[in-house]
Order: sequence, then C-alpha cells, then structure tokens
Amino acid sequence: MGVFVFLPLVLPLTAWPVARLAEHHLHPRVATRLLTGVAGVMAVCSTVCLGLLMVVGTAQLPGNPLPDGWSDPEVRAAVPYDEVAGKAAIPALLAVAVVCGRTLWRHARVRRRAHRALAALPATEVAVLPDDAPYAYALPGRGTRDRIVVTTALLHGLQPAERRALFAHERAHLAARHHRFLLVAQLAARANPFLRPLRTAVSYTTERWADEEAARAVGDRRTVARAIGKAALVAQGAPVPTLAGFAAPGPVPRRVAALLGPAPATRTWPSVFTGVGVAAWTAAAGTAVSAMSSANSAVTLVFILHAATPL
Amino acid sequence: MTDHRRPRRRGQGELEVQVLAALREADGPATAGWVQERLGGDLAYTTVITILTRLLAKGAVTRERAGRSFAWTPASDEAGLAARKMRKVLDAEQNREAVLASFVTALDPEDERLLRELLGRAKDEGGD
Repeated sequence: MGVFVFLPLVLPLTAWPVARLAEHHLHPRVATRLLTGVAGVMAVCSTVCLGLLMVVGTAQLPGNPLPDGWSDPEVRAAVPYDEVAGKAAIPALLAVAVVCGRTLWRHARVRRRAHRALAALPATEVAVLPDDAPYAYALPGRGTRDRIVVTTALLHGLQPAERRALFAHERAHLAARHHRFLLVAQLAARANPFLRPLRTAVSYTTERWADEEAARAVGDRRTVARAIGKAALVAQGAPVPTLAGFAAPGPVPRRVAALLGPAPATRTWPSVFTGVGVAAWTAAAGTAVSAMSSANSAVTLVFILHAATPL
Repeated sequence: MTDHRRPRRRGQGELEVQVLAALREADGPATAGWVQERLGGDLAYTTVITILTRLLAKGAVTRERAGRSFAWTPASDEAGLAARKMRKVLDAEQNREAVLASFVTALDPEDERLLRELLGRAKDEGGD
C-alpha cells in the first residue's frame, strides 16, 4: 500500500481549482451535481482511509479489543509510520464522527423548530411573516409540506414581477431538493477540512441553479437579477443580517452579473479540449483515484487481516 | 391524527397559539379567567397565567390592571407570533445555510457598489 494509503486524505486539494472553474463555467445544475458528488466521494474515501490507519496502527496497543494478529509486523509494514499515523487517526476519526453527527442533528433541529414556529399559520405553501427583517427561506418539509417563508419587509421592497421571481427561486430550491446537496457538501467539509471550498462552491451553485430556474419560470432574466439585487440592498440596512455572510467576494453581485449575461449552455459534460473540460475531467480523475486507492487499501488490508487472524 | 378528546399533552407553543387566538376573539381586554373558560376549562388557571406571562414577554400581548387582576389585550396575531418564533430560530443558528437556502447573503460595501452599478446598467438597457 505504501504512501498511497494517505492519498485520499490530501486528494481533496485537487478539487480546489476545479470548484472555482466549475462554478464559473458549467451550468449551475451540472456544477452542483458534480461538486457535491466529488465532495461526497472524497469525504467517504478520506474517512475510510482514517479508519484503516486506526485499525492497523492501534491493534497492538494494550487493552485494544482488536485481534493482536491485526497488528502483525507484516501488516504494519504495509503502512508507513504506522504507530504515529494510527494513534493520530483515533482522535481524527472521533472528531469526524462527532462533528458530522452534530451537523446532522442541527440540520434536523432547525427544520423542526422552523416548522413548529409556523405551525399556527394556515397550511399554505407561502407563509408571509410580519417582520421588519427582510428575509426569505425555502423550508423543506419532513412528511409535512414544503414551505416558503418570506417577511413583509422583503415583499415591500419588490415589485410584483420581482416577487414572482423570488417565489420561483424558492420553489426551485424545494423542487430540486437543494438542501440535500447543501447537507452533503456540509458533511464532506466537516469530514475533511480540505473540502471546505467545495461547500462554499456548492452553496453558490445551488443559488445560481435556483436563479436560472426562476429566470425560466418568469421568462425574464433581468427581472430575477433585479429581484436579487433589490433584496440584497433592502437587507443591507436591516437590523438583523439576512445571513451570516460568506467571506468570499460577494456571491450576490456575481449572481446578478450572471443573470444579466446570457443563459448558460445546458451541455451536460464539457469537451476535454476546453479549460473547463480539463478541470472537470481532473476532478473526476481525482475522485476516481481517491476512491480506488481507498478501495485498494481496504481490500489489501482485509486480505492481510484475514490471513493474520487465526479463525 | 390526534384524538378528539386530546389525551396527549399539548406543547407550550401550541398553548400559546390557542391562548392568543382566544384573546383575539374577545371584545376588548379579557381576564385570564375568561380565557380559561373560553378554552374549555381543562387548563388550570395558573397555566393560563403562565402562558399569558410568556406571551407578554414576547410582546404578543399587553395587560393593564383591572381591579385586583389584569385585563389582557392581544398585541399581535398568529402571524406576528410566528414571525417572532422564526426570528428566534434563525438567530439561534449560525450555520443555518446548511438547511435553509437563503435568497440573498450579506453584502460588503464593495459588493454594494458593484451591485448598484449592475442594477443601474440593467435599467438603462432594459428601458423599463
């Protein structure tokens, strides 16, 4: 196995340039699916890798319930720096489990609480809340119906056509189940911090995706652009920030600029002979290598452990 | 889903909504006793007082002295109460982006300048 065992831990670095290129050049729907898939696979691979390191590096520790054969010198020889790596892998793996568990739990809690807050209102798709903080959210249902939450402050800032654009945008989030992509990207970023740029990229591309769907539904890209721009400016002077901002150069002007430009091409997979194509294929290759080296490590390890276990 | 005889314990949020709804049906200020009667009497008087006090803290009702007790008046409707609860949910979650895709994110000054410029240009070209 050699140093290849460690490969899945650092391969996510290959996804950084890819995330930037994909969010600029691919259709947002393709970019969202590609980046979420890449993030998910790489996170699973890197976690599998941590698990293997832990098993090999720690099986010989006193009090460990794993069979002694698992840490046979021959097994350990397969992993470079087995002792250090194995011991370091335990807290790392625990941290991943705790952080991911907490992310899932919080996700469920926000949704539950938000639905409960709206429980007293008539069960309509759109819930208009009288509030001077301008915000709008798509709230996916769990067994209950999906809802769109919007405040009067935000609606007052928009013309009727722009309101339609806002609702079309939120409906697109719900119809395409964007929260699942966001959750996968979030979990991946928790499992391996190198995947954080992918999470930021996915949250941008899902917004772009919903913008494009809204533009299609409303039939006018400029109206959607104006709705987003105005909503952002209204939110500017608000007592409560609409959302804890991402540090990156603002996604909102980029979204507006994209809508003022032509509609993105809906090709599903770019040619290898363009810059975007090279980037997309590099991401795919990185993911494949990561997956294969994890699988390779796992299979090898299972064989070795099987041979070393007197059962 | 739920039994007609309401055997399950009602959540506090649900009680708040019911008490507020009852108050809104009253002509003018109402006492806690009136609210208790209105809700069918299976709630203890002290529970009604507790719920009303909680609503007062949330700014959803006001009260004034009327003799030896208080008279309560609704200050907001169900939507207002829902808005307050929603704001509380959002304020409590820093990483709500994971769950709730927001329509817009915060702007920094440079973004704002850029955005105004883009919108201005869109208006010139669109001519509306």
